[in-house]
Amino acid sequence: MRPQVILHAFGYLTQAAGTTLAISLAGIAIGFLIGAAVGAARLSRQVWLRRLGGAYVSVFRGVPLLVLLLFIYYFLAEFGLDIPALVAAIGGLALSTGAYQSEILRGAFAVLPRGQAEAAAALGFPGLEIWRRILLPQALRISVPPLINEFILILKASSLVSVVGIAELTRVSMNIASMTYRPLEAYVGGGLFYLAINLCLAGLGAIAERRLAAGGAR
Amino acid sequence: MKTIKTIGMTRREALKRGLAATAAAGGLLGAGRVAWADTLGDIKSRGELVVATEMQFPPFDISDNGTYKGVDRELIDAVAKELGVKVSYLDLPWTSVLPGLEAKKFDLCIAPVTITKERMKRYAFSVPIADATAALMKRADDKSIAKPEDIAGKAVGGQKGTSQLEQLKAFAAKLPKPVDIKEYVDNNQSYADLAAGRIDASINSLPNLAYAAAQRADAFALVLPAFGQATYFSWVGRLDDKTLLDAVNAALVKLEGDGTVATIQKKWFGQTMDLPKTVPEPAI
Repeated sequence: MRPQVILHAFGYLTQAAGTTLAISLAGIAIGFLIGAAVGAARLSRQVWLRRLGGAYVSVFRGVPLLVLLLFIYYFLAEFGLDIPALVAAIGGLALSTGAYQSEILRGAFAVLPRGQAEAAAALGFPGLEIWRRILLPQALRISVPPLINEFILILKASSLVSVVGIAELTRVSMNIASMTYRPLEAYVGGGLFYLAINLCLAGLGAIAERRLAAGGAR
Repeated sequence: MKTIKTIGMTRREALKRGLAATAAAGGLLGAGRVAWADTLGDIKSRGELVVATEMQFPPFDISDNGTYKGVDRELIDAVAKELGVKVSYLDLPWTSVLPGLEAKKFDLCIAPVTITKERMKRYAFSVPIADATAALMKRADDKSIAKPEDIAGKAVGGQKGTSQLEQLKAFAAKLPKPVDIKEYVDNNQSYADLAAGRIDASINSLPNLAYAAAQRADAFALVLPAFGQATYFSWVGRLDDKTLLDAVNAALVKLEGDGTVATIQKKWFGQTMDLPKTVPEPAI
């Protein structure tokens, strides 16, 4: 073990960690919007919307992220759709995590007792107010731990975007390993960066949980 | 000129096969398009040649803190200068390189690939850019191996599906004691296991191993002489890009004539090597 290898490549690894973080956060953010839309569709009173949402979840949760990325970047090119690597990477992550996030959000709403909304309606709360003041705060609180879980999973799964030619953290660790012939040092270096990023994500999640819990106690 | 007699396939063939389905699907759909694309014209009009390789194959392709270096980089830069265009480089995992070539994500694959008959049906090859003859590497402190024959009764690792591994199997079959052959997804894992003592030798092409042994003289040493049949590495283009390949080949032959290739070889391999001036006909 020669720690100098990691120190020498520190700038390269930091840059790659930045790429991993940026692509993952963009994917997670767009994925959240998709997740909210699909989750809402699945809770809708319209049958066709529920079916559409269900079909989305089945497809994008069922197809491995690697295959999805290869499909977007290489297969669509066969039909003249030349998607840039960055768009393919963020799009692939967003489409995939959107399916999982929609299920997390749907699950959070599904556990709220139906009686709450009915009682609120009986007390004269308008529909939007029931949603905003009673259901949403509770659902968010329930969904924070699984959402943080999903964010961490996506951050780690972002190592797959190297198949479209993006130099993210795992890819760069492999480059360092092959150049220096010191795989142990290279992967330990990469692993430490992942750990640091994910500890930050978990910390942010803990803060969010505390905030939402305080809101509930008020 | 030596003829190529590749017993097996090239390095990374196994991985390539893994994605064969993707590539095949791409090829089927691509067949409908008009053949004889004018890629060379496109490159000249945009002033840029886009190439791809996996930058994990020293001394051919290296990503040194994000800067692309190696034999392929210097050769393609010289070729692009001849063509009067700039070059941009993509670093793709090997599994994505050939599918990406077929999907026209770039113009030329500059990862070193060995020529086989089967591959010539799908891809156009450049004239050879380096020797790919098989050799062995051992741990520097292992005194029990002095020549290739000494691997009898020992464990040897190599990359699955490569022509070098096939040559090792043929070589091992003639030894008095059986050789325990371990197949890896990529050479870097074989080197790692060699360093860790799980295997006693690694098989790969001579230029790759000579470079690895020079970089980590504390851990690895070359076992000479090289053995098996003479094989060569080439670059790969799309089958319908004949004009591009012709231009690249003409540039490569010119660079060999004026000593540029020899200078690059001396810098990265520590020695020069004679290469065929035409695309050799594969024996298998």
